[in-house]
Amino acid sequence: MNFLERQLEDPICFARIKRWFYISLVVIALVEGLVLLAPIALPKLFPHEEHHRFWFESIPAFGSLYGLVSCVAIIVISKFLGKVWLMRREDHYDS
Amino acid sequence: MILDALNISWLHPGLVLILGAWILPLLRGWARRALMVAIPAVAVVICLGMTKGTYGEVSFLGLEVVFGRVDQLSLIFSYVFSIMALLGMIYALHVEHNSQHVTALIYAGGALGVTFSGDFISLYVFWELMAISSALLVWQSREPGAGRAGFRYLLVHIVGGLILLAGIVLYGSENNNSFAFGNMAALEHTAAWWLILLAFLINAAVPPLGAWLPDAYPEASVTSAVFMTAFTTKSAVYVLIRGFPGTELLVWLGAAMAVYGVVYAVLENDARRLLAYHIISQVGYMVCAVGIGTALALNGAAAHAFAHILYKALLFMGAGAVIQMTGRRKLREMGGLYKTMPITLTLYMIGAFAISAVPLFSGFVSKSMIVSAAGEQHLMWIFLTLTLASAGTFLHTGLKLPYYMFFGKDSGLQGKEPPTNMLVAMGLAAAACVAIGIFPSLLYQHLPFAADYVPYTLQHVTSTLGMLAFTALGFFLLLKHLDPEPKISLDTDWFYRRGSLIFVKLFQKPLARFESDSMGKVCDVVMRRFVLGTGGLLRNFDTHVVDFAVVGVGRLTQVLSRILRTTMSGNTQHYALMMAAGVLAVLTLAMIVR
Repeated sequence: MNFLERQLEDPICFARIKRWFYISLVVIALVEGLVLLAPIALPKLFPHEEHHRFWFESIPAFGSLYGLVSCVAIIVISKFLGKVWLMRREDHYDS
Repeated sequence: MILDALNISWLHPGLVLILGAWILPLLRGWARRALMVAIPAVAVVICLGMTKGTYGEVSFLGLEVVFGRVDQLSLIFSYVFSIMALLGMIYALHVEHNSQHVTALIYAGGALGVTFSGDFISLYVFWELMAISSALLVWQSREPGAGRAGFRYLLVHIVGGLILLAGIVLYGSENNNSFAFGNMAALEHTAAWWLILLAFLINAAVPPLGAWLPDAYPEASVTSAVFMTAFTTKSAVYVLIRGFPGTELLVWLGAAMAVYGVVYAVLENDARRLLAYHIISQVGYMVCAVGIGTALALNGAAAHAFAHILYKALLFMGAGAVIQMTGRRKLREMGGLYKTMPITLTLYMIGAFAISAVPLFSGFVSKSMIVSAAGEQHLMWIFLTLTLASAGTFLHTGLKLPYYMFFGKDSGLQGKEPPTNMLVAMGLAAAACVAIGIFPSLLYQHLPFAADYVPYTLQHVTSTLGMLAFTALGFFLLLKHLDPEPKISLDTDWFYRRGSLIFVKLFQKPLARFESDSMGKVCDVVMRRFVLGTGGLLRNFDTHVVDFAVVGVGRLTQVLSRILRTTMSGNTQHYALMMAAGVLAVLTLAMIVR
C-alpha cells in the first residue's frame, strides 16, 4: 500500500484533503484579489508587472472567476453539442 | 571537429537520420539498441553545434536548391525535432520491429529536412517524405483499424501534397522561376499564396481540415504515436512562421482551433484520441500567434512548439505505457491504476502540468507569451478565448484523463510499471518540462526574434493559479456529468468516411438510369445509325469499288496475257512482222506527237 493509496482510501484522510482543497481555493482567490494592489503599493518590488490592457483585468480575482465559468461552460456546451449532434454509436462507421 | 577533419563543411542532420536508419536492420541485440540511440544523438549534436549560414546549395535542372538554411528559427526547431527523435527512440528501444524504427527515423529526418529547406523544391521533397513515412508508421500497428486509418491519413496528406505542389508551380511562375521560400506577403491573396497556405493548414490540422489527426494518431502503435505527435503539425507551424506571419485569418482560425479541440476532448472516451484533440487545441495557440505576427507572438509560437513537443510526447508516452501494460485504450475500462503504476502517474502528471501551463512547468513560460501578445495587440476576444481553452486543457489533460485512468472507479486492472527504457524516456521528457519551467532562459535564449518577456510576474502567476484551481473546482462539482461514454464523435472525417458512401449511394441509381435511358439511346443512335451505317457504306465501297478495281486489273492482265500468248507462235516470220508493225507504230506515234 503506497502513500497515495493510504490518503485516498481512508475516509478521514480523504475528508482532510477535501478540506485543504477548499481552503486553498479561498486563499488563492484572496491572494489573486490582493495582488491587484501590489504594483500600486510597492512599485519598486514588482518592476515587470504588466499594465492592464482590458477592463476585466481590474476585477478582483478575475482569473479564478473566469476559470470556474470557463470550466462549467466548456462541459455544459460540449455535452449539449455531443448529445444533440456529435456523439454516435461506436460502430457508426462500421456498418 | 570530426566534420572539419573529414573536410565536410556541413552535414545535414536529417540525412544522418534517413541514411542511418538503414543500418539498423543489419544489426542485432545490443549493437542495434546502441545504434538506435546513437543515430538521433548524433543528429542532436550536429544541430547543437551548427553555426548560422547557408549550406548545401545545389543547382538542379537550372534551379537553385538550398538544403541548409541555418538561422535562429530553423535552429530552435531542429533542436527540438532531433531531441524528440532521441526520446522517441529511447521509448521504443524494447520494440523488435526494425521497420518501425526505420520509418520513424526517416519521418524525423523528413521533419529536419523541412526545417532546413531554403526553397520550395527541397521543402516539397521532405514534405512528401514525411507524409509517406508517417503513413507507414501508422501501418506499423498491425491492428485492422490502423490499416484503414492509415489509408485515410495518406489520402488527406497526398491531397495536401498535391495542393502544395500546385501552389509551388504557380509560385515559381509568378516569381521569375525562383523557388526561394521566405515571407509570402508579397504574393498575398494570389492563387499560389492560397494554395500553399491551404497545404500548410492541412498539415497543421486546422479545422475543418484537421480530422486526420485524431483519426490516425490513436490507431498507431504505442511507440509510433509518440513520434507522430511531434513532427507533422509542428513542421507546419514552422513553415507558417516562416511564410505567413501576420496573416489575420490565422488569428481567428487559431483561436477557433484552440476551443475546437477542447470541445471534442469533453466527449472523448479513447485516451490517446483525447490527447490528440489537445494537440489540435495547442497548435491552435501557435497558429493564432503566427497570425498576430508581432515579435513576441512569433517567439511565443516557436517557444510553445518547443515546449509542446516535449510535454505532448510525455503525455502520449504515459498514456501509451498504460495502454501497453493493460491492453485497454478506453477511459471507461481503466481506473484505479495509481496503485500499480505510481511512477507512470507521476511522470504523466508532470506532462499534464506542463500542458496546463502550471507555473514552474514549461507550458507556463511558452503559452503565456502568446496570450500576452494577444493582450498587447488588444485582441480582447482572442485573449478570452485562449484563456478559456487553457482552462479546458487543464480540465481534460490534467484532471479528466488522469482521474479516469489512474483514480476513479477501480477497474481491477492489474497494470505494472512499463519497461525501464520507456520510463527513462518519460523521465528525460519530464526533466526537460520542469527545467524549462524553472529556468525559462534555457529556452528564451534560442528564440528567433528580439523581444523581452518576463513570465513570472506576481499577477500572472496568481491569476493562472486561480484559473487552474477554480477549473479543478468546476471539474469536481460536475464530475458525474463527465463520465466518458462509449461513443464516438462526428468530425469532418465524416465527409470521406460516410459522406463519400452516401454520395455513391445517392448517385448510383440516377447514374444507372441515366446510363440505361439517356446514354443507351444516345449510343443506339450513334452506334446504329452512324457507326453501323458508315460501316455499311464503307463495306459497299470496298466490295463494289475497291474489289472491282482489283479484280478488274487481274482480269485485264489475264486477257492481255492470252492475247500475247497467241502471238508467241515460234515462227520467225510472225516475229519479224510484229517488229515491223512495232517500228511502224512508234514512227506513227512520233509523227503524231510532233
